[in-house]
Amino acid sequence: MKDRLLPYWLLIPAFMIVLATTIYPLAYSFITSFRAWDLTKSRRPEGFVGIDNYIYATGESQFLNSLWVTFIFVITSVILTVILAMALALLLRRKGPMHTFTRIILILPFAMSPALIGVSYRFMFNPEFGVIANGLGAVFPALQGVPWLADPQLAMGILVLTDVWHWTPYMTFMCLGGLASIPRETEEAARIDGASNLRIIFGIILPQMRGVILVMAVLKTIFALKMFDQVVTLTGGGPGTSTETLAYFIFNVGFRWFDMGYASALAWILTAIMMFISIWYVRMLLSERKMATA
Amino acid sequence: MKRTLSYVGERALLVLISIVVLFPIAWMFLTAFKQPRDAYSLSLNFEPTLQNFVTVFSAPWNLGSMVMNSVVVATVTVAIAVPCAALAAYSFSRFRVKGRKFLFFLILSTQFIPAVVIVLPFFLMFRQLDMLDTRLALIIVNLAIVTPFVIWMIKGFIDAIPTDSEEAAMIDGASRLRVIKDIVLPMAAPGIMTSSIFCFILTWNEFLFALILSRRDAVTLPVGLVSFRTERGDLWELMSAAGVMITVPIFIMALFIQKHFTRGMTAGAVK
Repeated sequence: MKDRLLPYWLLIPAFMIVLATTIYPLAYSFITSFRAWDLTKSRRPEGFVGIDNYIYATGESQFLNSLWVTFIFVITSVILTVILAMALALLLRRKGPMHTFTRIILILPFAMSPALIGVSYRFMFNPEFGVIANGLGAVFPALQGVPWLADPQLAMGILVLTDVWHWTPYMTFMCLGGLASIPRETEEAARIDGASNLRIIFGIILPQMRGVILVMAVLKTIFALKMFDQVVTLTGGGPGTSTETLAYFIFNVGFRWFDMGYASALAWILTAIMMFISIWYVRMLLSERKMATA
Repeated sequence: MKRTLSYVGERALLVLISIVVLFPIAWMFLTAFKQPRDAYSLSLNFEPTLQNFVTVFSAPWNLGSMVMNSVVVATVTVAIAVPCAALAAYSFSRFRVKGRKFLFFLILSTQFIPAVVIVLPFFLMFRQLDMLDTRLALIIVNLAIVTPFVIWMIKGFIDAIPTDSEEAAMIDGASRLRVIKDIVLPMAAPGIMTSSIFCFILTWNEFLFALILSRRDAVTLPVGLVSFRTERGDLWELMSAAGVMITVPIFIMALFIQKHFTRGMTAGAVK
């Protein structure tokens, strides 16, 4: 039977790509994370230093700051995106020309390059000639001349805003798919019995969407942990280090200061955080599935 | 009365959402056609000009070469990733072989690895091989991000195709490869097309790899944006013109797949 091995032959090309482009670099940076390697001083890796790079990280204030910044960013952007996406999907699942139009244009923010989103929000929030900065100032006099991106909290707020603007559409599509797959009968029966919209949403729809919401929350968490482009084009990590996320900090250590050993160790800390979340995610999903079938 | 109120409220909400979605994009498009002095004013009453596009395509910006780099990198990445991923997706979808779950999980879990972890070793490797600032280097790293994603997406589409006609053909003596070529591929074509476009968008917009691995020759459009930040300040009208060049092809593609996109997304994520 020559077909016996076919399943494996089909997998080989893709598997080779994954092996060469992710598994190998991962192993390489794992080894590098136990070395001292200052690229400005030496072309080749210097000696092994054990877990020194990791120990150094635990005491370094800039690393701890980036962890905190990342935490704030992830929490706010995940919560906002998931709630907004759910609300949008509930609104957009109805039929109607305006609903369809909104659904169609919703793909645009998702297709827009995040680097460009950062650039255009930077332009719109420019205190002198930014259209949003000026528009807000005209409507609310108290907001006139607010130096949006020069204020640590506001800069973080705008960073979150760009991310929510970029990801809410994608998550809305996921919600719409989830909503389409749950049976409408219970909802219709409740409506005939005179249940209010809010009751139907919170009592009937949301409980059935638990699985989808969970998937969304975890995917969004992963995307938020990886977010990098807008930090470069919107805030540059500033003002000060107030929007310096872990991914951006790793980039600085690796490609501004060329400390490869330390950057690799930091990169592995970020990987570990993500792995932890994804394992937790798989376990949650599995128990969810058990509950659903039981 | 209550009904009309909620009717009006719902429409108003939809208009508001559309404004939030479209405004930043519209503003960028407007700015791209403004003369420099108008770009720094909020006026909508300006004389449109194509000068910004002329400027970005001439020295020293040379956006043309960046467009070329972006087109080549994204096209070649798609051309390599999609066929490989389609075969793997078919295998994952149709065969219950040993170790299948583990392999699928392994491939999916690479999605959870931050790009910055992958780019560090690649930077060192390409430096050693003298491949920094080449399109080939960018294609190789982009494959890392795109391939697992496309496998996952295409698998969702193939899962949705019933197996009956495949089985019938096999009973009639057709080989598995023939079945793939003559039955599965045509039926999966819309899904594969959607995945290809999606993969193109991801690569086209990719920023981190290009920022680190290119200097002058292989710079792609998103990284090119950063070069309009000069000592004289940010040149917004030129950035906007470049932004229009980045978004227009992608928007056309995105609108083209919008319908399938929703389906593909949820099939993969919920199952």
